Amino acid sequence: MAELSFNVDHGYLEGLVRGMKAGILTHTDYHNLAQCDTLEDMKLHLQSTSYGKLLSSSEGDLTVSLVDSKLRESLLTEFSCLRSNALPPLSAFLDYITYSYMIDNVVMLITGALKQRDVAELLPRCHPLGAFDQMAAVGIARTPTELYSAILVDTPLAQFFQDAVSESNLDEMEAEILRNKLYKAYLESFHSFCKSIGGATKDIMCPVLEFEADRRAFIITVNSFGTDLSGADRSELYPSCGKLYPEGLRLLAKAEDHEQVKAVANCYPEYKLIFDDPEPGSDFKTLEDRFFEREVKLNTLAFLQQFHFGVFYSYIKLKEQESRNIVWIAECVTQRQKSKINNYIPIFPGTS
Amino acid sequence: MSSLLRGEEMCLAQLFLQSGSAYDCINELGELGLVEFRDLNPSVNAFQRKHVNEIKKCEEMERILGYLLREVKKADISLPERDVNPGAPLPKHVMAIMEQLQRLEVELGEVTRNKEKLQRNLLELTEYTHMLRITRNFVQRTAEREPLQVQYEEFPFLEKDTMMDYSSMQRLGAKLGFISGLIQRTKIEAFERMLWRVCKGYTILSYAEVEEYLDSPDTGEPTKSVVFLISYWGDQIGQKVKKICDCYHCHLYPYPSSNEERNDVVEGLKTRIQDLHTVLYRTEDYLRQVLIKASESVYTWVIQVKKMKAIYYILNLCSFDVTNKCLIAEVWCPVNDIPTLRRALEEGSRKSGATVPSFVNRIPTNDTPPTLIRTNKFTSGFQSIVDAYGVGSYREVNPAPFTIITFPFLFAVMFGDLGHGVIMALFAFWMVLYENNRKLKKTRNEIWNTFFEGRYIILMMGLFSIYTGLIYNDCFSKSLNIFGSGWSVKAMFTAGVWKMEGIHGNNFLTLDPNVTGVFTGPYPLGIDPIWNLASNRLTFLNSYKMKMSVILGIVHMSFGVVLSTYNHMHFRKKYNVYLVFLPELLFLLCLFGYLVFMILYKWLVFSAKDSRQAPSILIHFINMFLMQGDAVQPLYPGQNGLQVFLVVIAVLSVPVLLLGKPLYLYWLHNGRHRLGMYRGYERVRRNSEEELYLLRAHDMEEGSSHSDLSSSGECQTEEFDFADELLHQAIHTIEYCLGCVSNTASYLRLWALSLAHAQLSEVLWAMVMRVGLKMDTTLGVLFLVPVFGLFAVLTVSILLVMEGLSAFLHALRLHWVEFQNKFYSGMGVKFCPFAFSLLPSSAEHEGLL
Repeated sequence: MAELSFNVDHGYLEGLVRGMKAGILTHTDYHNLAQCDTLEDMKLHLQSTSYGKLLSSSEGDLTVSLVDSKLRESLLTEFSCLRSNALPPLSAFLDYITYSYMIDNVVMLITGALKQRDVAELLPRCHPLGAFDQMAAVGIARTPTELYSAILVDTPLAQFFQDAVSESNLDEMEAEILRNKLYKAYLESFHSFCKSIGGATKDIMCPVLEFEADRRAFIITVNSFGTDLSGADRSELYPSCGKLYPEGLRLLAKAEDHEQVKAVANCYPEYKLIFDDPEPGSDFKTLEDRFFEREVKLNTLAFLQQFHFGVFYSYIKLKEQESRNIVWIAECVTQRQKSKINNYIPIFPGTS
Repeated sequence: MSSLLRGEEMCLAQLFLQSGSAYDCINELGELGLVEFRDLNPSVNAFQRKHVNEIKKCEEMERILGYLLREVKKADISLPERDVNPGAPLPKHVMAIMEQLQRLEVELGEVTRNKEKLQRNLLELTEYTHMLRITRNFVQRTAEREPLQVQYEEFPFLEKDTMMDYSSMQRLGAKLGFISGLIQRTKIEAFERMLWRVCKGYTILSYAEVEEYLDSPDTGEPTKSVVFLISYWGDQIGQKVKKICDCYHCHLYPYPSSNEERNDVVEGLKTRIQDLHTVLYRTEDYLRQVLIKASESVYTWVIQVKKMKAIYYILNLCSFDVTNKCLIAEVWCPVNDIPTLRRALEEGSRKSGATVPSFVNRIPTNDTPPTLIRTNKFTSGFQSIVDAYGVGSYREVNPAPFTIITFPFLFAVMFGDLGHGVIMALFAFWMVLYENNRKLKKTRNEIWNTFFEGRYIILMMGLFSIYTGLIYNDCFSKSLNIFGSGWSVKAMFTAGVWKMEGIHGNNFLTLDPNVTGVFTGPYPLGIDPIWNLASNRLTFLNSYKMKMSVILGIVHMSFGVVLSTYNHMHFRKKYNVYLVFLPELLFLLCLFGYLVFMILYKWLVFSAKDSRQAPSILIHFINMFLMQGDAVQPLYPGQNGLQVFLVVIAVLSVPVLLLGKPLYLYWLHNGRHRLGMYRGYERVRRNSEEELYLLRAHDMEEGSSHSDLSSSGECQTEEFDFADELLHQAIHTIEYCLGCVSNTASYLRLWALSLAHAQLSEVLWAMVMRVGLKMDTTLGVLFLVPVFGLFAVLTVSILLVMEGLSAFLHALRLHWVEFQNKFYSGMGVKFCPFAFSLLPSSAEHEGLL
């Protein structure tokens, strides 16, 4: 029944986002971009895409970081257009999307502050999607409790802090743990929010978020090898909304090396593919890239159905991946690493 | 005329441009707009082409020009309107322009930056004065020991406290500090809360709103802000407070410690603000001067850069010949224009002082050339009506010349009203008279432009409406009695049919044309005005208009079928004349042509005297198909035999139409091998193919890469597929035969729309104008003024605009569907020549010029 009245409130935005999706770079665009010799060439080619004059209005020389910030800016413009037109359930959904960027920003600011960096220097590096008023004051806090009670209590992130509060001093390790705890709370909350919306949104978003949760669990496990993070500590960081919950997570907590992680993944067909050894002859891809590929695939699936919020999430994520791709190509172009230029992750590989 | 009927003959030509003079040659061609260039390097990326650097330079200049134009517009300086058409700059002059532009940009940028800095400074100082003014109140209030206000309740109390504790705090080594500044009003709450949380109450915040809207120095937008004063103890807390202030983007200003200091600062600020005002004024003046200087030549630059960019774009389409040091371009060009093209190339070579001339070479091709139909301002409107359906295939019969008459005519049949036609024609005539007026031409109103582009169509439609209005004898739904009616009421009395007493009792009286003297003869032009009084007027007009629309429709369609012979003959497909055209025409004429004949026959043969015996054409037409005419009286002797004959012919023409062409083609295809009839022809073809091959080889030697493009079209051999052909013909046959019926019915819209228009205008007259005319007191004259106003507005908006648009739409449909599908395929590609005048510059695109 929700489908019947969906268009009353959200039809315009869904149409808008589907229209914007048509502007996502195609296979031919990537092919042409990969042939560029300088950033100027890339600018010339991007002019013929939906990015238009995004890069050409800038004065002075192009740098990769400039490209990156411009791309972020355009993503922010699109997102804020969507956000400012959104009505209740969708607006909360869109806010949920920004929370993940907020978490990253907070953690980045904390680690920056620990390294005695100036806040003014850190702020431009924050993701604009996750910007909030109290951001600059994050550096004041010394412990997570102080961080929570003084600064973040007014922000939407406060709800994720219930479990993350601890009295220990913030160091880099602690910041990383804080990030993962926040993420765990965030993913679980987002998952239950999508579940409460129900309908197609639930059908689309839950698999995406479950994948996201599992990916975090795997990544945490793999990264924890060689650190003093114990299995029990690890299991506290695993988001519990994924497909791995509960058996897989228990096994992961026990895992001691890469082979054991692989053994866990083998029990789940969708993750088995990711951990499979690459066939000889095909080019090697990192674990991260394969996860990204899988994420892109899941996100593109969201566009197959109508009347749900998943398209908004997927669009933002795909656009983010596209920015990563463009920046990757731009890096390769400036550093003359032509051999690695094709390691971007194609979105909509079928379309040409 | 021949070019309007068929379009220009086009040819593919190769231009050999000496690399030194290529730029000038293409410049000449761009000014003339003669040729359409083909892309000879379609496989090359945009950024791998030869002149990509020059194009980038042009884009850079466009960017600067856009910046200049925006600044000029912001400063409200009008651009000098000029009709100059500066040529493309020579490549050696480009650097000078570029330098000039860059210098201007730097200068402008510096001045604007300065101005912005000064403005920012000024705003900050204003904020500071406001802050000082307001914070003084905080302090003064305590000094004067005024009754405490609720809002600042804790402040004086704590202030007192601090005074008391100040010495003790000093003893403890802590320092009392003040931080004051401004913050946006929306943020103050969160700010206060955070301050409290972080500093755990070791601070005192007092704030007051600034009454006026202050321009924020960061954004320049007027915002409501709040002045605040924080007092705190200790450096540690001070650091935190400062950080929090930073994070809320507060504007902090030093807080003077004593009253004297405060007064000094205020005085100082006053003078500084005054100084800033004068400096700002000077800067703005200077900025304006720079912009005025720039605005003088900016228009010329925009045109020049546009042309230069276009030329390099075209040069990128050419292939470069390494050995001969010349560029090769392939162009479509009208055959008649080749001498002009040669002259233009000579001119270009002469201008650049090249020793070797550039030249043109016609090359044979199998590609279908683009369609060029030259139009003038009168025909262009009608041509665009046709083009909107589909651009004509190359050298196909163009319906536009016939549309010039038939379109306004069919429109007028639906719109027939003398008065409305006059208004429409006058409006169009006004547009035609002032067509050179810049204001009318350059407007950005899209709806207006549509009308303006179609002014000649509207003029013709208006004139034809006047004509049909005269025929219908309708002028704002009233009839004009110009020549005197042919009917006489008096004769009824003299003949003694009507008596005085009978008239009073009867609401309706019937005029009998059979009584001598009542009907003296037809009205000389159109419908007799006496019908305006008749109660059976509608019945009479309906029968007349319905028959008229069927006649017009069948004539129109037959004309379309006849036009198809022009195509068959021109494309050397004589068999189509016998196998397609003839059966089509027979089918149409035998069935519906006969219907027209019956209508005319009935009109001519039956008069008022024997009107009782007049037959129903509908019954006769139905009987014709059922082949049973015994039940009714025949119209003329031998009617049954003729009708059977016609139906048989029509039915027989269907299989001919269905099978004739495919079978003939099949026989032609298979028979050619067996009978060897066409061997001579084949040999000729082979020769020409050999020539082509040689030519291609020659091109390859020259190292040009375009041959792969031109060869792709040449290699197509004619594949014959009988089933395919049969299927096509079957579809065509079904469409045509069914179409004859449905299209004839479709022409009845002429009747329906004209009926609707007449009735609507009559309703308007009866409901609005007659109400006003009925009042016969002197007040009625005054009442008539608003009534006429309403009548006029409704006439124009409903009857002229709305009805006009609907009649236009239906006329359009009758042309596109009913008329053009009889002969017009419309599968062509429009010829778009490379001409500077047709290119919009980037500045126009952004709406800056």
